[in-house]
Amino acid sequence: MSDLEARLRAIGAERYHHRHPFNLRMHAGQLSREELQSWVANRYYYQTRIPLKDGLILAKSGDPAFRRDWIGRIHDHDGTPDRQGGLELWLALARAVGLDEQRVASLGDVLPGVRRACDAYVEFVESHDLLASVASSLTELFAGDIMGERIAAFEKHYPWVDADGLRYFRSRTVQAPADARYGLAFVVEHARTREDQDRCAAALERKCEILWGLLDAIEHAHAVPRFARAAQPRLDDPEPLVVLPERAVKLSGSAREMLALVDGKRAAIEIAAAVRGRHREVERVAGDVHDFLDEMVRLGVLERGIRS
Amino acid sequence: MSAPRPYNLIAELTYRCPLRCVYCSNPLGYRAVRDALDGAAWARVFGEAAELGAVHVGLTGGEPTLHPDLEAIVAGAARASLYSHLVTAGTTLDRDGLAALARAGLRSVQLSIQDADATASDEIAGTECFEAKLAFASSVRELGIPLTLNVVLHRHNLARVAEIIALAQRLGAARLELANAQYQGWALRNRTALLPTRAQLDAAAREVTRLRAEVRDVEILFVLPDYHRDRPKPCMGGWGRQSLVVAPDGRVLPCHGAAELPGLEFWRVPERSLAECWSDAPGMNAFRGEAWMPLPCRDCPERAVDFGGCRCQAFALTGDPAATDPACSLAPAHDVILRAREAAAEPATAFVYRGSQ
Repeated sequence: MSDLEARLRAIGAERYHHRHPFNLRMHAGQLSREELQSWVANRYYYQTRIPLKDGLILAKSGDPAFRRDWIGRIHDHDGTPDRQGGLELWLALARAVGLDEQRVASLGDVLPGVRRACDAYVEFVESHDLLASVASSLTELFAGDIMGERIAAFEKHYPWVDADGLRYFRSRTVQAPADARYGLAFVVEHARTREDQDRCAAALERKCEILWGLLDAIEHAHAVPRFARAAQPRLDDPEPLVVLPERAVKLSGSAREMLALVDGKRAAIEIAAAVRGRHREVERVAGDVHDFLDEMVRLGVLERGIRS
Repeated sequence: MSAPRPYNLIAELTYRCPLRCVYCSNPLGYRAVRDALDGAAWARVFGEAAELGAVHVGLTGGEPTLHPDLEAIVAGAARASLYSHLVTAGTTLDRDGLAALARAGLRSVQLSIQDADATASDEIAGTECFEAKLAFASSVRELGIPLTLNVVLHRHNLARVAEIIALAQRLGAARLELANAQYQGWALRNRTALLPTRAQLDAAAREVTRLRAEVRDVEILFVLPDYHRDRPKPCMGGWGRQSLVVAPDGRVLPCHGAAELPGLEFWRVPERSLAECWSDAPGMNAFRGEAWMPLPCRDCPERAVDFGGCRCQAFALTGDPAATDPACSLAPAHDVILRAREAAAEPATAFVYRGSQ
C-alpha cells in the first residue's frame, strides 16, 4: 500500500460517517420509524446530486479512457434501458420504509442543513480540479463495509422494512469497491508531489465533513430542543428576550413564536411542523425553523436532548 | 431627555477585597467608600432596576462575597427576575456557601484568574490564591453553574494565552474572557509595568485565532485594547445608555470609574429612587447622547459605534473629561498614547499594588 493510500485510509477510519452517532444508532437498531424515514427521504437528495457531481468530473477530463470508465457511475445512478439505477432503487427503499415515493422525489421535505451539505459537495467539485474532485469521491473506499453492516442491521432491527427496499445497499456493496479501486488508482498515479497529495487528503477530509454534516442535520431535526440551564427566557416581556451569562438575545416576533414551542417534549421537526401549520403562506418556513433552532443552540440559548 | 433602558445593572456590593491586583478597576480612593446598602436595600434597588427594564445583574466589587447579606441579595435578584451573575476572585467562598447561593437563585459565575502559572498569577494578585481559585472553579462546575473565566492580559502573560485557554478547558468554563487590561485606576498607575507591545498582542491574537478553530467547548473572547487600535473602545456601550452601576455607597453611576471625575453630581439610593438617579442626575446626563461631543467626534461617522470612547480615560490622560478619548488617532492628545506605546518596548517597571500609597 502506498503512503498516500495509507494516509487516505486513515482519514476515512477517523472521519467517515460510519462513526457518526446517528449511523451508530441506525446500525444498533435504535432509530425510531420517523428517524429512519427521515434519513431515507433526506439522503435521497444526496443521491440526486451524485450524477450532477459525476457529470462535472467527466467534463474535467480530456482522457477518453477515463471518461469511458467514469460515465459508468452516471449509468449506475440514473439507470439504463435494461437496468434500474441507484435513484430508482433508493425510491424503492423509500416505499419500503413506508414513504410516499413521489413526495420523496419532489425533495419538498429536505432539511436545509442536508441541502447545504449536498450542494457543498457539488460546489466543491465545481471549483476544484480533476485530481481533487476524484479524491473527494474516495469515501467510496469505506462505503462497501458500511453497506454490508447496514443490510444486516436492517434485517435484524427493522424487520418492518420490505426486503425489496434493500436492493440499493446490495448494489453498492459491489459498485462502491470497484469505483473506489479505480478512483484510488487514479489518485495514487496522479498525485506525485507532496502538494498534490496534501490537496487529495484535504479533499477527502472535506468530503467526510460534508457527509458528517448531512447526518448532523438529520440528527438535530429529531432531537428535542430545550432551554439551556444558563438561559433565562423572558418570552412574555413586551420586548421578548433570552438572558444568558453576560449577554441577552433579543427576539423578533417569529423568534418568540418558535421559542414558545420549545417545551422539552417536541422535537425540532415537530416545532417546524407546528410553525408551518400556522404560516402556510410562507415558503420554506419549516427549513427556517431548523436553521433558527440551530442558531439558538450555537448561541447557548438551547441545547439538544434525545427523545427519551 | 427621556432616559434609555438600562438592560444591565452592575451592583458593586463592596470595594473590600483580599486581593491587591495591580490593574484593579476600583477607584484609587476606594477606601473612603463605605458599604451603605444591606440585603434589603439591595433588594429594593433590584426591584426598581427591573421596573426600569434591567434583566441582568452583575454582583461585583471588590469581592462581592464579603458582603454579609450576599444570600439575601441573590434571593432579591431572583425575586425581581434579574439574571444574577457573581463576579468573584473565588478565594472567600466555600462550596457550601456557593451551593446556598445557587439555591437562592444564582444563575452564573465569573471567576477571575490572573495567569495560567501559579507563581505569576499570585504575583499579579499580590497574594497567594491560585490554588484556591482552581478549587472554587471545581465547586462551580460540580454545582452545574455556568462558569466564565476572566483573565486580564498584559505584557507578563500574553505569551501564555494557549496555556490560559487550556486551563479554561480543564476547569470546564463555558466562556473565557481574555480581557486586555484597561488602563484606568490602578492599571494606569501600573501602565509602564503592564502595557504590552503591539508585537506581543499580535502574536497572542494569532494564537487565539488558531485555538478558536480547535477549541469547541469554550467560547473565547479577545478584543484588541484601545491603546493599540487607534480607535476608542465603546466604553460601557455608551454613557448612561444600557448599563447602570450602583456603587457600595449607593451612588448611581454610568461606569465603575465615573465617581472620580470632577464636577459631576451623581445621586444615591435610597435617598432618591433609582429611576431619578438614572434619568435625572446631572452627572448621568453630562455625557449622554452626542450633544457634549467636541470635534472631531461630533461629525465622526463612528460616533454611533464607539459613543465617543471613555470619559474616564479622557480625564485621566488630558485633565478634561469632555475631551476626545486620546486612544483615537484623530484626538488632539493622541500623542500621549503613542508615547505609552513606545514605552511598552522598554523594560517593565515594578508593580504598585492596589492599596499601596
